[in-house]
Amino acid sequence: MDGGLVGPAPGGQEAELTAGTRIEPGRSYGFFTDTTLCIGCKACEVACKEWNNLPADNLGLTGHSYDNTGRLGAHTWRHVTFLETGTRATEMPPYQSNWLMMSDVCKHCDPAPCLEACPTGALFRTEFDTVVVQQDICNGCGYCVPACPFGVVELAPEDGKAHKCTLCYDRLKGGLEPACAKACPTDSIQFGVVEELVERAEARVGTLREQGQADAYLYGTPGAPGATGGLRRLNAFFLLTDRPERYNLPPAPSRPARNARPAFLSGLATMAGLALAAVAIGVGRR
Amino acid sequence: MSVTIRHPALPPGVQQEWRGETYHGRPVTKASSFDWKVSFYIVTLGIAGAAQVIAALARTQHGGAGLARRARLLALGGSIVGPLVLIRHLKTPRRWYNMLRILRPTSPMSLGSWLLAGFGGLSGLTALGAVFGRRSRLARRVADAAQGPAAVAGAGMGIYTAGLLASTSSPVWAAAPAPLAAQFGAASMAGAASALALAQRAAGETASARRLETLAMLATGVELLASRATERAWAAKGLERSITSGAPAVLNTLGGKAVGVALPIAAHGIGRAAGGRAGALLPELASLAVILGGAAMRHAVLLAGNDSACRPEHVFRTTQAARPGGVRR
Ligand code: SF4
Ligand code: SF4
Repeated sequence: MDGGLVGPAPGGQEAELTAGTRIEPGRSYGFFTDTTLCIGCKACEVACKEWNNLPADNLGLTGHSYDNTGRLGAHTWRHVTFLETGTRATEMPPYQSNWLMMSDVCKHCDPAPCLEACPTGALFRTEFDTVVVQQDICNGCGYCVPACPFGVVELAPEDGKAHKCTLCYDRLKGGLEPACAKACPTDSIQFGVVEELVERAEARVGTLREQGQADAYLYGTPGAPGATGGLRRLNAFFLLTDRPERYNLPPAPSRPARNARPAFLSGLATMAGLALAAVAIGVGRR
Repeated sequence: MSVTIRHPALPPGVQQEWRGETYHGRPVTKASSFDWKVSFYIVTLGIAGAAQVIAALARTQHGGAGLARRARLLALGGSIVGPLVLIRHLKTPRRWYNMLRILRPTSPMSLGSWLLAGFGGLSGLTALGAVFGRRSRLARRVADAAQGPAAVAGAGMGIYTAGLLASTSSPVWAAAPAPLAAQFGAASMAGAASALALAQRAAGETASARRLETLAMLATGVELLASRATERAWAAKGLERSITSGAPAVLNTLGGKAVGVALPIAAHGIGRAAGGRAGALLPELASLAVILGGAAMRHAVLLAGNDSACRPEHVFRTTQAARPGGVRR
């Protein structure tokens, strides 16, 4: 695949040049989205739409700060959130304004509630440990949509299939860094092997705290907020500086599939009890 | 039954308590595309499933042949009509058979698809007995061999849809898995008993119809108790808005409670007190009300779940971390 680079990439893979990582099947890849570096330029949104050939949507104004994208959905796989915090600090470190901006994306959860719900196997885990919808299998049952704790995956009315971020599955196969991460001018979106990204992210939190930013923390790494309730980790995770709700993230989501067992047990007990009652009543006798 | 979510505290620099903040009031999760077709399926297959439980009981009783025959036919009818309507809900219906492409143990929809396939097949076999049983010993034998498994699969059909809704991130559906399934199961049994009571009355088997009506009332009572538990869980988690406003409120109160519970109790009460001819058609009215009320209740739950998925405050209320010694709200 020609990712746009003039001439062959040294080492054979363009990702080595642009992201400093080789892309090999069998390893876990993901995003580290560092919100303290985001400048709200939406280059990621544009790059995603361009590479994945996604149709435009929501051309109106929302009135919600600079966020006219509004939401992740079938046609929007990166979404930059904008929240203008009420109080402007007088002494601010130079790395960011007092806006909270975050480029939201599918978290490629592990385990992934959408995948656990999908009855057709259209949603599957790739050789890169990412979560992708196979468009030739999805039958539009729509179960993955309410299953996702983050409101990411959605059915497209145009074709009746579920769509979401693929973590640029096609690009990964071709040794290219995902489009959003490559386009991000501040490296707010970093692509790489999840374990390496987590290390890098933890170091970044340390640096920020040293610089006096006591509110920096990770969302979605093992043991952190976001990786809760049976979600081991989110392969696309975030560095935040305020409560998760302000970025539209649930503070302690959980894996919905674990509700099935109590439901089935109580339901079957009810049916058994009523069947016994029916015997006692003499249902079936003339 | 609420699951305690442990999660590490936010750093000291971050506001520790959630004070109702949302992101511009925008939804966090997405509502399902489930509509009346899904509710129709839940109701139809619930009745069909519980009918197989009744058929199995009737086969063991002397004089239960007529009831067993009608219950088997009802099960077959339900397992044909229900899926046909459900397939129309898929956004790519021509690929319905992909439901049987894999078995995903974590997905109640996948388990349910296989359960439905088995239940439909078994109902076809038991229907052989209903149609040819009097003439063919083979048909009778096949049907009776299938009856036990059909009843077990039927019990599953009556309740798995509650597990399906509960295994999502829509707050109202996920809030009370166990009571919700008890509610759906009891409504399935009440619906099947009522539908068969109608059939038995039409066939002139009045005594059998009365027993079925008693079973229906008992099941309705269980449904009412379970719905109390579900509604208490919703209130405790701050989700009641979804069921106390708009269409779900009308369906739940007027349909589920008034038509589904109060009306049948009154009609059966008056009918039995008056006895015989004075109560003509009252039992039929009561049975019809139980079926319609059960349908309204399920559709209310379905719509309320879709509504709550669009309310960020509902999602955030139900995803707050358990605080040591504190109450989650
Ligand atoms: S964020 Fe949602 S769509 Fe993405 S992997 Fe997790 S459950 Fe699936
Ligand atoms: S809509 Fe498609 S991807 Fe989603 S659960 Fe159904 S079959 Fe799977």
